[in-house]
Amino acid sequence: MQSSPGGGVVRKRSPVSRWTLLVCSFILAAALGQMNFTGDQVLRILAKNEKQLSLLRDLEGLKPQKVDFWRGPARPSLPVDMRVPFSELKDIKAYLESHGLVLLDEEREAMAKSRRLERSTSSFSYSSYHTLEEIYTWIDNFVTEHSDIVSKLQIGHSFENRSILVLKFSTGGSRRPAIWIDSGIHSREWITHATGIWIARKVSMDRRGWDGVEVTCPALFQNRLWRKNKSSRPGTFCIGVDLNRNWKSGFGGNGSNNNPCSETYHGPSPQSEPEVAAVVDFIMSHGNVKALISIHSYSQMLMYPYGHSLEPVSNQEELYHLAKDAVQALYEVHGIEYIYGSISTTLYVASGITVDWAYDSGIKYSFSFELRDTGRYGFLLPATQIIPTAQETWMAIRTIMEHTLHHPY
Amino acid sequence: MQLRRQPLSAPRPGDTRPAAQRLAVPLLLLLALQGAAASGEPEDSGWLQDAEPSSRLLSQAARAALHFFNFRAASPSALQVLASVLDGRAWVNQKKEYKFDLVFTTEFYRAEEGEKRLGTCSAQVFFRNDKPRPAVNVTCTQLIKKERRQEEDYQLYKLMKQLKSPLNAVRIPDSHGYIAPSLRPIWNLAFLGSSYVMWQKTTPFLHYFMSQISSVKQWKTNDDAIDFDYTVLLHEFSTQEIIPCRIHLVWYPGKPLKVKYHCQERQTPEEGSGTEEGSAVALTELSNF
Repeated sequence: MQSSPGGGVVRKRSPVSRWTLLVCSFILAAALGQMNFTGDQVLRILAKNEKQLSLLRDLEGLKPQKVDFWRGPARPSLPVDMRVPFSELKDIKAYLESHGLVLLDEEREAMAKSRRLERSTSSFSYSSYHTLEEIYTWIDNFVTEHSDIVSKLQIGHSFENRSILVLKFSTGGSRRPAIWIDSGIHSREWITHATGIWIARKVSMDRRGWDGVEVTCPALFQNRLWRKNKSSRPGTFCIGVDLNRNWKSGFGGNGSNNNPCSETYHGPSPQSEPEVAAVVDFIMSHGNVKALISIHSYSQMLMYPYGHSLEPVSNQEELYHLAKDAVQALYEVHGIEYIYGSISTTLYVASGITVDWAYDSGIKYSFSFELRDTGRYGFLLPATQIIPTAQETWMAIRTIMEHTLHHPY
Repeated sequence: MQLRRQPLSAPRPGDTRPAAQRLAVPLLLLLALQGAAASGEPEDSGWLQDAEPSSRLLSQAARAALHFFNFRAASPSALQVLASVLDGRAWVNQKKEYKFDLVFTTEFYRAEEGEKRLGTCSAQVFFRNDKPRPAVNVTCTQLIKKERRQEEDYQLYKLMKQLKSPLNAVRIPDSHGYIAPSLRPIWNLAFLGSSYVMWQKTTPFLHYFMSQISSVKQWKTNDDAIDFDYTVLLHEFSTQEIIPCRIHLVWYPGKPLKVKYHCQERQTPEEGSGTEEGSAVALTELSNF
């Protein structure tokens, strides 16, 4: 049995062979990172006083629909992040310059450079939301720091040809039973990406005899409330397929939509989307995934299949009790209440979803989370809630992982 | 772990009721025909009681009642949100109209950490096919005394009067969920206006949450009242759509809220056809209640 590089920590070997924990980084096709496919940029601006803040706000009025504040002009000395389409860059930079607004461009370049040089995740702020670039850097650092147990795999590409990454936690060996966790299938559910990163860290620290896979999916967006991927097709100007309606089980049924402009558009056919196909291929080739956890927000729910039907699955009783235990463990951290049950009876009927496919593919312990909150902030959950949410979610996930570990099949 | 009230149908920590028997859509019909119930329907319209209403359905109805309550109270410092449904009964008729009798708890919308006061409401909610909005009869316990509420509204009003028209392009909250303290009164007032819209639009199948103020067109305070024209993004369940709604409200503390709105409906798939506008403009002026 290996000991950890930290020295002396002996991992308990489970009676069952060790697990592989797979963490998939879903890089959903999409609009924005610091630099993206279409050349949009996020500018970081420092406003020194109220007057400058006001000038920034005026900018949106001058360029309606063209600028998108990711971090709005709130108060002086706080950087403002503003997404600008490529076509407007010149104009806007001129405006900023003429009004004496400082672009933290050079500073940003320097920071980015230093980040690339940074070999440590210890300066990463877990209590803020991060850009795609920052998450990529974190992933690389994380893999480097835990190279004994974590590796990074690319399992495919998004519609816009971005890599889909999986973080694989493994103590060696092959074809071991695995637990799959994904987050961020829907871009706007930012709390799930942040939670995913936290969970990766916890898994690396909690060396228990399982190997785990954690997936955290950096988000790329059309706008802050974008849900789907970025695939386009002839005949319609509407973009995107709901990746959580594109799976094979119950495809096209109630709770999904065949209108390409709909937020729950299921796509032309099951697994038509490269993101979904990549995950299906990976999981099927692995052949030994025993639990699958898909993390979404919001509603504060923990659910199991089915979504496409009201009929209970054959393992309903066991899944019900496991969900109940997991929710209790979650509650004990910060007193947050989750409800639990099957997807169709707890949330709504939804067809072609990840966990239905997983269950029908033989992955008995398939669960879907809807994290905080219950509507007060919804997708725009304040960053102050990231760590509490991640902490409680981790306890629920751990409960599921332990049960899976102790109930081999 | 402190004792908490268990909501009716949904399992929560501590609840041991098996979920398997619950069917959300096909109703278990009791043939005891309920009469008019508290909504005042004299005639027998073939109402059949749903023996096991889903917690989702009850919550939706409770939220509709609360949106209406918040709108009528017209008090941005006393907005309430649903905590949990304590008791709920549901009926449906052959026309697929729904009636609910509910008791639920609420808490303050204001983000005061640690102040978890719970109020209680009872409501009858009636979803009819021919009327666009649910008919609501709702009474709630007072979470704060009337004088204090009026005072807080007035303080809020004074703050708003001092705000210069600032808000031209700021999204509230920003992408990180942050609302600057100076902008909070605006958020509360926007929520009040949105409550009217969400009440109007809620059906047994669709309910809403306010996601973000995406723009402010106008913020005027020249006369006494606050004149607020803004666009809000509503998140629609279960379609997951984001619905932009333009809302124009006029508010003065203690007076009924005047509001009109227009929500944009989803685009059609054909290329070049542009957006289909859902014309739901309503001008409401209420006499004192």
